[in-house]
Amino acid sequence: MQVLVVLAHPTAGSLNHAIADRACTALRTAGHDVHLLDLYALGFRAAMTADERAAYHTDEPIVDPLVREHAQLVRTAEALVFVYPTWWSSMPAILKGWLERVFVPGVGFQFNEAGKVRPALTHVRRLVGISTYGSPWPYVKVINDNGRRTIMRTIRINTGTFTRTHWLGLYAIDTATADERERFLERVERRMRSL
Amino acid sequence: MKALVVYAHPNPSSLCAAARDRVTAGLAAAGHEIRLLDLYAEEFIPELSSWEREHHLDDPATKPEIARHAADLRWCDTLVLVYPTWYSAQPAIMKGWIDRVWVNGVAYELPADSNRIRPLLQHIRRIVVVTTHGSSKWVNAVQGEGGKRVAFRSLRVLCSPRCRTTWLALYGADTCSQERRSAFLERVEKKFRTLR
Repeated sequence: MQVLVVLAHPTAGSLNHAIADRACTALRTAGHDVHLLDLYALGFRAAMTADERAAYHTDEPIVDPLVREHAQLVRTAEALVFVYPTWWSSMPAILKGWLERVFVPGVGFQFNEAGKVRPALTHVRRLVGISTYGSPWPYVKVINDNGRRTIMRTIRINTGTFTRTHWLGLYAIDTATADERERFLERVERRMRSL
Repeated sequence: MKALVVYAHPNPSSLCAAARDRVTAGLAAAGHEIRLLDLYAEEFIPELSSWEREHHLDDPATKPEIARHAADLRWCDTLVLVYPTWYSAQPAIMKGWIDRVWVNGVAYELPADSNRIRPLLQHIRRIVVVTTHGSSKWVNAVQGEGGKRVAFRSLRVLCSPRCRTTWLALYGADTCSQERRSAFLERVEKKFRTLR
């Protein structure tokens, strides 16, 4: 499979970087073609510009060359893997902005003649989210896990009917032990090997 | 009332811009104090930096770049968010404002050896969201209304325990008639004129 891994953490050497490393290695071991996008390292700009907004409903919604490159990677991906820390019960702004700017009409979804949203990600067979949370699991469940909802609902409804989804979360990381972190990395590795 | 209006849309002739003007007109007519924060106009940087991540528990006095935004949050008793709903939530620039400004020492404090935060914005008694959705109410319900959850759950838990919430939304904004848009703007202004 063609797998696109999208990583959104500002600090090289973070747990999220370690997770992305493990995931990529495991996916390659399993024989997949893996492409990693480290959004911070690429200097990706999160905010949709006025030009992009003006072009959004036209036939050419993409104006930035970096966004065009990423859109091409999305169009050929058979699996999407998102790796990010949950901040404010949602994805970091850089990843939210990546979705807004790259998953434009014709890439992330399409409009039919009546102007209704229809799926354009039917080539995506696996949708995976891997996230670290500062809060403990019950708090995340009671208050909100909007990052997960964005991926598992908003993106999911634009993929195919038979697309399978997987969610891997490490909760309460501020108090997690080194052992718990290592076990989580192993879980990520096992899951990615058998994707 | 002291209202902080946070606005995010790149296009100055958008429906959201019109809604923002109705918000401030309504608040001014009712005699409230207003501070307007236009994130695109001031070219707010939404990406939390590596330095900020490493120092996210430091005293906010060491972060002069967010000092004005933090002061606005401490000043207001009413928070108004005006934005277009993109990918079921706030645009990245507004999410970045939350990521970077609602930090330890401003919005909450994290006691040592704990992963449960303590709220610091208990003077905020009301959160109002004014937003436009391209897709229908039904589609947004399926997607889970992420923006509403961020505003009325994740942010609200740091405000007053009795903080009230008001949701003013136009669904199907991509395809709706001019009349519905005008009616929405009227509704927004009326709400802010009578907000107590």
